Amino acid sequence: MLPVSTIAARLDGQHVLLTGVTGFVGEALLHLMLAEAPGVRVTVLVRRKGSTSAEARTAALLRKPVFADIVEAAGGVEALMAARIEVLEGDLADAPELPPGLDAVVHCAGDVSFDPPVDEGFRTNVQGTRELLARVRDAGPDIHYVHISTAYVAGRRRGSIPEAPVDHDVDLEAELSWGLVQRQIVEHQSRSAFVLERERKKAERTHSRAGLLTAAAATEEARKEWVKRELVRIGSERARSLGWTDCYTFTKALGERVVEQHARDAAQPRRVSIVRPSIIESALERPHPGWIEGFKMAEPLILAYGRGELPEFPAAADTIVDIVPVDHVVAAIVAVLAHPPEAGDPAYFHVSSGDRNPLTFRMLYDNVRAYFDEHPFAAGDRGAVRLPDWRFPGASSVERLLSTSERAHQVANYVVGHAPRGDRTRDLARKLDQQGRRLEFLRRYLDLYREYAQAELRFSDANTLGLYRSLSPEDQAAFAFDTAVVDWSHYLREVHCPAVTAPVRRMDEARRKRKAATDPTLKPVSASSTGQIGAFFDMDGTLMSSNVIETYLWLRLREQTGSERWGELGRIAAKVPAMVRAERRERSAFLRAVYRQYDGARLADLDAIADEHLTDYVLSRLSPDAVRRIREHRNAGHRTVLITGAIRPLTRPLEPLFDHIEAAELAVDDRGVCTGFLASSPLVGESRAAWMRQYAAEHGIDLAASYGYADSHSDLPLLDAVGRPVAVKPDVSLFRHARRHRWTIVDWASSTSNTRTLNPAGDLR
Amino acid sequence: MSRPGFVLEVDDRTPPLVVHEGLGFRLESFPLGTRVVYPPESIPAVPDVDEAIREALLHPVDSDPLPTLLFPGMRLTIAFDDLSLPLPTMKAPDIRGRIIEHVLTMAAEAGVDDVKLIAANALHRRMTAAELKHIVGERVFRSFYPQGDLYNFDAEDRANLTHLGTTDKGEDIEISKRAAESDLLVYVNVNLVAMDGGHKSVGIGLASYKSLRHHHNAKTMVHSRSFMDHKHSAMHHSAWRMGRVIKDTVKVFQIETTLNNNVFPKPFDFLQKREWEWSVKDQATMLGVRRGLAVAPQKMRHKMFHDMRSVYGLTGVNAGEVEAVHERTLAKVHQQHLVEVQGQSDVLVMGVPYLGPYNVNSSMNPILATCMGLGYYFNSYRGQPVVRKGGAVILYHPLNEGFNQLHHPSYVDFYEEVLAESTDPAVVGEKYEQQFAQDPWYIHLYRTSHAYHGVHPFYMWYWAAHAMDHVDEVIWVGADRRAAARLGFRAATTLQDALEMASGTVGSSPSITYLHNPPHLLADVR
Repeated sequence: MLPVSTIAARLDGQHVLLTGVTGFVGEALLHLMLAEAPGVRVTVLVRRKGSTSAEARTAALLRKPVFADIVEAAGGVEALMAARIEVLEGDLADAPELPPGLDAVVHCAGDVSFDPPVDEGFRTNVQGTRELLARVRDAGPDIHYVHISTAYVAGRRRGSIPEAPVDHDVDLEAELSWGLVQRQIVEHQSRSAFVLERERKKAERTHSRAGLLTAAAATEEARKEWVKRELVRIGSERARSLGWTDCYTFTKALGERVVEQHARDAAQPRRVSIVRPSIIESALERPHPGWIEGFKMAEPLILAYGRGELPEFPAAADTIVDIVPVDHVVAAIVAVLAHPPEAGDPAYFHVSSGDRNPLTFRMLYDNVRAYFDEHPFAAGDRGAVRLPDWRFPGASSVERLLSTSERAHQVANYVVGHAPRGDRTRDLARKLDQQGRRLEFLRRYLDLYREYAQAELRFSDANTLGLYRSLSPEDQAAFAFDTAVVDWSHYLREVHCPAVTAPVRRMDEARRKRKAATDPTLKPVSASSTGQIGAFFDMDGTLMSSNVIETYLWLRLREQTGSERWGELGRIAAKVPAMVRAERRERSAFLRAVYRQYDGARLADLDAIADEHLTDYVLSRLSPDAVRRIREHRNAGHRTVLITGAIRPLTRPLEPLFDHIEAAELAVDDRGVCTGFLASSPLVGESRAAWMRQYAAEHGIDLAASYGYADSHSDLPLLDAVGRPVAVKPDVSLFRHARRHRWTIVDWASSTSNTRTLNPAGDLR
Repeated sequence: MSRPGFVLEVDDRTPPLVVHEGLGFRLESFPLGTRVVYPPESIPAVPDVDEAIREALLHPVDSDPLPTLLFPGMRLTIAFDDLSLPLPTMKAPDIRGRIIEHVLTMAAEAGVDDVKLIAANALHRRMTAAELKHIVGERVFRSFYPQGDLYNFDAEDRANLTHLGTTDKGEDIEISKRAAESDLLVYVNVNLVAMDGGHKSVGIGLASYKSLRHHHNAKTMVHSRSFMDHKHSAMHHSAWRMGRVIKDTVKVFQIETTLNNNVFPKPFDFLQKREWEWSVKDQATMLGVRRGLAVAPQKMRHKMFHDMRSVYGLTGVNAGEVEAVHERTLAKVHQQHLVEVQGQSDVLVMGVPYLGPYNVNSSMNPILATCMGLGYYFNSYRGQPVVRKGGAVILYHPLNEGFNQLHHPSYVDFYEEVLAESTDPAVVGEKYEQQFAQDPWYIHLYRTSHAYHGVHPFYMWYWAAHAMDHVDEVIWVGADRRAAARLGFRAATTLQDALEMASGTVGSSPSITYLHNPPHLLADVR
C-alpha cells in the first residue's frame, strides 16, 4: 500500500482522461477535479456536435455559472483550458487515439435512457466501452481505468447485492452481434406488407377523407414510430428473458463484463475500478445544494405528482428508493481514482444509500407531498392543484386502474370521434386529449419504473465505506461520500424538490405571460405587401349550416306532392347510414352517392327552384361572421374563392361575395335531364389543394400569405395549402390537428333565427 | 260604448299588472303610487266597411270624387303601406286589399288599363309574394303579380327614380319614377298610430336614400318632439315640405284608414283588458298561456306570437287631399289613443312587446328592441315626454332573440362593428352611415333578397336619439347583460333592482309612470 496521504497529493501530476463531461455526472466530476485536485491535468473526450467543435463545446461548458469561481481563479476560460484541460475530439462509436502519458481514464459517458432502442444500447454501453478500452490498451500498459456503471446491473435479483461481479454466463459476443443488427432487421420488417398493410389501413381509416397522400404520409410516420417501439420492445424482452429489468441494465452489465475481460487479461493484467451509483439526483452540497442538470429519473414523477397527475404509484410503501446525491457520486469516483486497485483484480464500489440510510417510497411520498403542500404549483388560473393521496394499493391494482382508464379513454375517444360536432364535442375532445397525454405519460413511466419500484435490492456499500473511512479528515470533508449523512427530509424538501421545480415554475410563469400576450381571436386581415392574397372558403359547415343531403332535399321535395315527399324522405332516410359510412371513408364517394339521387331531375327545374325559393334559405343560413370575414377580405383587396362540393345552383346567391366559385356541376343528357353523375370529379380533399395551387399560379396568388377557412377533416389539404389556415367550428379530427399545429380556431355562430326545415319552400306553394 | 283611457294610481288593491317583454309577458307588482297609463278601450268600428270605402271614394275631402279623376288611357298607380303596418298583421282580408279592389273596380269602369300597384316599402325589405298577397288579397294578387304589375318599390333602381327638385331648405326629393309620372297616384294607407300617413306616405314610402337622409338623421330626430305629433316633429316638417313640392307635380289621391285597438285576438284578448276586470276564464287563460310560454322553446314562442292575426275594426276611412284627409285621420287616431297625463315623472317604465314595424315574420333583435322602446314607445307622447329631462327609462325585453340573417344582415354588422365603437347616434351616423348606405353587398341583398337596406339600422338608432338625449339612465329588466352593454345600457334582473340602480339618477323614491301598451296609446302630457 502507498503511504496514506491526501487525495490531492496522490493525484498530483497525474494526467486523467474523462469521457462524458457534457453529461450530468461528467460535468460534476470535472468540476470537482478542477476545484479539489489542482495538480491533475485533464483531457476530455468530447464529441463534435454539428458545426460546434469539441473545443467550443468544452469552452461553453466552462462558461456555465457553476464553473464561475474556478474560471475566475484561473483568469478566464482560455487560461483555464490552456493550463489544465486538453480537449480530445472524438466519438466513442469510433474512439480516437488517446494522448500519450495518461495515468487514468474515467468513463462516464453512456446512454442514460432506460428504454433505448436495442442497437443503441449495445452500441454505447458495450461496443463503445470495448473500443475505448482498446484505445486504453494502446495508450499504455498501466492506465487505471475507472468505469462508471450502475448499481442496477444486478437486474432482477433480490436482496443484498455485494460489490462484486454480476453473476451471469451470457454469451457476450453472441448478444452483441445480435443487438447491433437489430435495427436493420426491424427496418426491413417494417417495410413488409404485413406491417405496412396494417398501418396503412389504420391511417386510411382516419385520413382517407383528407386524401390518399395524407394517409400515405401518416402511414410512413406510423412505420417509423413502429420501428422505434419495436426496437425498444425487442431490447426489453431479451433483457427480461435473461434476468434484467430492461435493455439499459442488461447492456450495462455486459459492458462491465467487457471491462472485466480487459482487467483480467492473462497476458497483461490491468488496473480497473467499477463504480456503480444507484439513482443519481441533485447535489447535496457541491457545487451548490440542489445543483442538477436536466431531468433524471425521479423528476418527471415528482413534477407529475406536483401537477396532480400521478394518482397512484405501483410500489409498496416499504420498498427502498435508492437515491444518491451527485456530489457523493463524483467524490467517490475521485477517491476511487486516487486509490487504484491491484492490476487484474477489478475493484467494485456501490455508491448507494439503501443499505445504511434507506429511503422508502412512503418517506419519499410524504416528503414530496409535504413540499408541494407548502409550495404548490400554481400553473393554471385556478389556484393550487389538488394533490392525489397515495394509498400504495400494490402494483396490480395500479395496473388495473391504469388499464381501465386506458380502455375508458379509448371508448370515449371513439364516441367523441363519432359524435356530432359542436362546442361540447370539441371541449370534450380537448379534455380527452389532455387525459390521453396524461395516461400516455403514466403508462410510459409506470412501465419504465415498475421494475425499479418493485426492486427489493439492498446494495451493500462496504467497499465504498471502507474507502471513505480510510481518508484523512480533510479529504472526508472535501470528498464527502458517506451517504448515511443524508437527512432525507431535509434533502427532499429543502434541496431536491425546490431545485427540480424551479425551472418548471419559471416556464409556467413565462407561459402565462405569453398566453396573456397572444390574442387567441382571429386577427384582422392584412393587406398584402407582395403579390395577390387569396382567401379560400369551404361552404357547407363553414359559411352556413347545411350539408349536401339537406340541400338535395330542399331541391327535390319542392317539386313533389305530399305523399311523394314522404316517400322520398323515407327513401333518403334509408340511405343515410350508408352515405354516412361513405362520408367517413371518402368524401368524394359520399358526394357521388348523394348526387346519384339527382338522377332524372331536370337541371333547368333545379335551377329555377334554387333561384326562386332557395336563395332566401341559403342567405338566411349564412353565418354573419363568415360574411363579415369575406367582406373584410374583399375590402382588403384579396381574391375570395369559394370551393365547395355543393352543386352550382346553390352557390348562386353567394356570387357577389366571391371572385370565383368552384362548385360541382351535375352532368345532363341531351334533354337536359340529370344523369345522376357529375360532369367532373368532385373537388374534395387533396384535389382541392391541387386545384388551389393551379388557381394561385394562374392568378399570381401567394399561397403562403393566403387564408383558408374550412370545417372538416376532409378539408385538411385545403388548409394545409395556405399559410394562414383557420378552422371554423371544426370536427374533432380537424380540431385536434388545428390545436397541434396552432392554427386559428374560430366559432362562427350560424345564424340564430333560421329554422331547420327539410322543405323551406313548402309552405309557399 | 267604449271607456276612455285613464291613469291608474297603484294602491294596495292593485293586482300585478301585465308587462310585455318580447316573446312573453310578466305580471309585475309596481311600487305604490306608480301611475299606470291605460289606453282607451276599442272605439266602435264602422258598421259596413265596403259602404264606408265607397262613401270615402265618392265623397272625398277637398277633392273631386275618384271616378271623375279616372279616364281611359291614363296612367294609374296605386301605392300602399307595406307589412310594417298594422301591428300585428291584420286578419285577412286586409283593409288595403278591400280599398284597392274598390279603386280597381272604379278604374275598370272608367276604362283605365295602365295600372301598377307598388308597395311603398322605401328602404324596408322586399315583401315576399305571400306577404304581398296577404295585403292586396288573392284576387288582386292573381291579376297583377304574375305580370309584374304588382311589385315592391326599389329605392336603389336608379333607372326608375325621379328627382322632383328640392325644397326651400335644399332637401332633395327623389321618388319612384312610375309614381311621379302617373296621371294619378292613389295611396292606400293604414294609419295605425299618429306618426303614419299624411305627407309621410308618398314622400317617405316611395322615396330613395337620397331623399330620406334629409330627415332620417340624428339631428332631425332629436328635434322631433315627438314624431307622433307631426306639428312638433322636425322629421314631419321636412316630409311636409317635400309633400308640398310633390303635390305640385304629382296628383295624389290619399286614402287613409284608422283602426281600433282590437289588437289581441281570442284567446289572448285578456291582454287588452284591465287586470282587475279579468274574468275567471281570462285568468285561467292567462295562467295557461304563462305556463305554456315558460316551457315552450323560443322557436315555438316565436311562432305562437307571430302567427297572431288581429281582428281590428275599421274606425274610419278618409280620402282626398293629403293634408285635409290627414287632419280627419288624426282626430280618429287621437280618439282611440290619446290619454291625458298630468305632469312628467322621474321614471318611465315600458314593456317592449314581441313585435315592431321591422320584425314582422322576423326576429326582434336588440337594435329593433331599442328602437321599439326608446323610439316608438318613448315618443308616444304629445306636449312633453312622460319622463322628465334627466330622468330614467326602464324597459322590459330579454334582448336575446338574435338577428335574422336574411332580413337584417346589416344590423348584425352594425351591432358587431359600429355599436362596439360608439353608441352615440350622431357619432355613428357621421362616421359610418355613408359606408353602410353605399355598401354594394347590402344593396345587392336589399334589391334581390329580403333584406332591409344597409342604412336601416342607423335609422333605428336615430329613432332612439331623442330619448337617449332626454334621459340620463336606461335600464333593461330581464335583458341579456352583454347585449344591453353593447347597446350602451345596463341590465337588471327585477324592477326593484332597476329602481335601485336608477336611484343615483332619480333618488330613492322617484315618481314612476308605466305606459300600459300595447294596445297603442298616446300620452297627452300636460
